[in-house]
Amino acid sequence: MYVYIYDNFLRHKKYESIVKSIEVRLTDYGIAGKILRLNNYTDAKPMIDDEIRRGAKTVVIVGNDVTLGNVLSRSATCDCVFAFLPVGTDNTIADVLGIPVGIEACDVLSRRRKERLDVGWMNNRYFISQLHVLPAKVEVIYDERFKAYANDKMEVVVCNLQPFYWQKDKKSQERLVVHPQDGKLEAFLRPLTKASWWGYKYESPSIFPFEEMEIVGKEPFTVEADGKISKEIKVKIKLAHGKIEMIVGRNRRF
Amino acid sequence: MIFQKSSPKQYEEEQILAPVSPNTSQDNVETIVGPSVNVEGDFASEGNIIVKGSVAGSVHTSRHLVVEMGARIMANVRAGSAQIAGEVRGNMKIKESLELQSTARVLGDIEAKTLVIEAGALLLGKVTMPGLEENKPKTTRGFSKKSEEIAVMAE
Repeated sequence: MYVYIYDNFLRHKKYESIVKSIEVRLTDYGIAGKILRLNNYTDAKPMIDDEIRRGAKTVVIVGNDVTLGNVLSRSATCDCVFAFLPVGTDNTIADVLGIPVGIEACDVLSRRRKERLDVGWMNNRYFISQLHVLPAKVEVIYDERFKAYANDKMEVVVCNLQPFYWQKDKKSQERLVVHPQDGKLEAFLRPLTKASWWGYKYESPSIFPFEEMEIVGKEPFTVEADGKISKEIKVKIKLAHGKIEMIVGRNRRF
Repeated sequence: MIFQKSSPKQYEEEQILAPVSPNTSQDNVETIVGPSVNVEGDFASEGNIIVKGSVAGSVHTSRHLVVEMGARIMANVRAGSAQIAGEVRGNMKIKESLELQSTARVLGDIEAKTLVIEAGALLLGKVTMPGLEENKPKTTRGFSKKSEEIAVMAE
């Protein structure tokens, strides 16, 4: 049995037609199911647990990167197969999973090509897309063997499924991208250096693939993981191998 | 006909015409120590390493190591192959080839199978090539043979 979790933004009129056509395509394939809608204060975990108790085997997340991160980070421990139907903008993870945006995603869903995916683990919660430490004076310790630090502030981005995009500077039009590998987490360190009298500029990033790392700061720093923001003084990040089972496309990047 | 829904064929065409994201060649993630980043400790990686900042402790990779101009390594280095354009203070043990570019400054002993030194590179230390050590007793014969060959060639 299939259960579909729709993000709140899909209520908007501009998504009406695409959602309708997706529903028609799913009915054609005979995989239509119950539709649940996420609200601002809905926790996905109890909702999915309830549906699993009622016999749901596949939970399909309909929305964008934010939706996928919000739902999967809370419900990674649920015993079911997850799937993703990307709709609208901000869909970078869909490309990594080999799922086309829009109605063609239904074809991938109907083929049911399953893969076990790794999930990032930070202090006491999972993260799917990215973990972002806003610029702060921090030190990064990798696998308890070596540490990396900058002379001034440093921004840290840990990518699980979401690719990392950056520009050399504000003026540069070229957008550089690194796609994450499976089996490792990628940490991108971008130190900030004083630009002139005031302001900072970003240096080109350092890249470290790892399985376990610690970010330590003398003062509390801001951490954002899948839309959840918290202040931490020490963050331990690990990779949970094969935590979630997900339907992926043939053109996936891992 | 204007308001007719787009056919699946049109979707395919759109997919083909969709712009390919630039820099797909950067997909191979390797370890990069960027400028103004300092690394301390046993720095080991399974993949290629590019150093643009500074490293202290030890560096180990079974694959390729690149030390760019302006980078500093104050550590013993073990790598599959290496290309040095920055400064290295420590002993280097390279399995295959080591290339010292014109801006390279090396203070330490080197052990490498193949060594390429560009004009302008600075080196202070002992250079050892393991292949030559192993064949030491044979080298005299080999040398004489080679000298014979050269003599024949000269004739």
